[in-house]
Amino acid sequence: MSTESPLPGYRETRLIDPFEIFIGPIFESGAKGERRFALRIDERHVNRRGSLHGGMLMTFADATLGAAAADLADGGVAVTLNMQSHFLAPAHAGDVVEVAPTLTRRTRSMLFIRGDFTVGGETIMTAASIWKVLGRT
Amino acid sequence: MSTQPPLPAGAEEISTAGFNLYVGPIYRLPDVRAGGDGRFCFPVAEKHMNSAGSVHGGMLMSFADVAMSQTARFGTDFTASHTVSLNCDFVGPGRAGDLVEAHVRVTRRTRTIVFLSCDVVAGDRTLLVASGVWKIA
Repeated sequence: MSTESPLPGYRETRLIDPFEIFIGPIFESGAKGERRFALRIDERHVNRRGSLHGGMLMTFADATLGAAAADLADGGVAVTLNMQSHFLAPAHAGDVVEVAPTLTRRTRSMLFIRGDFTVGGETIMTAASIWKVLGRT
Repeated sequence: MSTQPPLPAGAEEISTAGFNLYVGPIYRLPDVRAGGDGRFCFPVAEKHMNSAGSVHGGMLMSFADVAMSQTARFGTDFTASHTVSLNCDFVGPGRAGDLVEAHVRVTRRTRTIVFLSCDVVAGDRTLLVASGVWKIA
């Protein structure tokens, strides 16, 4: 396990899902509802060729777009209905992946949220997701 | 802690390095039908869960990605397969104690592009359905 130092301008995100804690830490900046997120890629996150694993990137997408959905869910729980990912370029250990999730559309029970995942300003992956909001009080 | 069902006969571990090793074990199953289709499994562990007691969506997408990537290379001389696009529908929750299987079908194979689909199931429950495009090299 590598030692993680907080990224400049970011604080560590409080994670509660065991799988996210397992692959984390994840860092964030900004206020609730406008959070942007960052992940420093380490040797746990890469494939046998040393490139960031697509599964890891989709897990980061699920965690961060889901965190944005939770911010927008008004106390309800948001569960993933669908996620579409396009992989544009590779990334490697030591790189920092950043995303600022954006709300595309909100209906009474669904949230459409997308994100461009960048390394040093280059988009390496885009994800578009749909979330069902359960149990809003 | 729930008990794990036994692995199917002939299961061969494919999670040997990096992210696959970290989130695994993941196995390839032997009774693959003709035509390059693939079958895989992983036993759900505590590390795979979310806070709602379901398997994390990131793990289900990672498992589909691994299974589809491996199947994309089956029967070819190519040693690398890169996910270009992956669309995942989250149909139902995976639970502690599940032995999760992926059933992968090749829809079309060109010289360097493979179109695949995948059902991720636990027993008679469908957890996730996926379709995607891979580049093999």
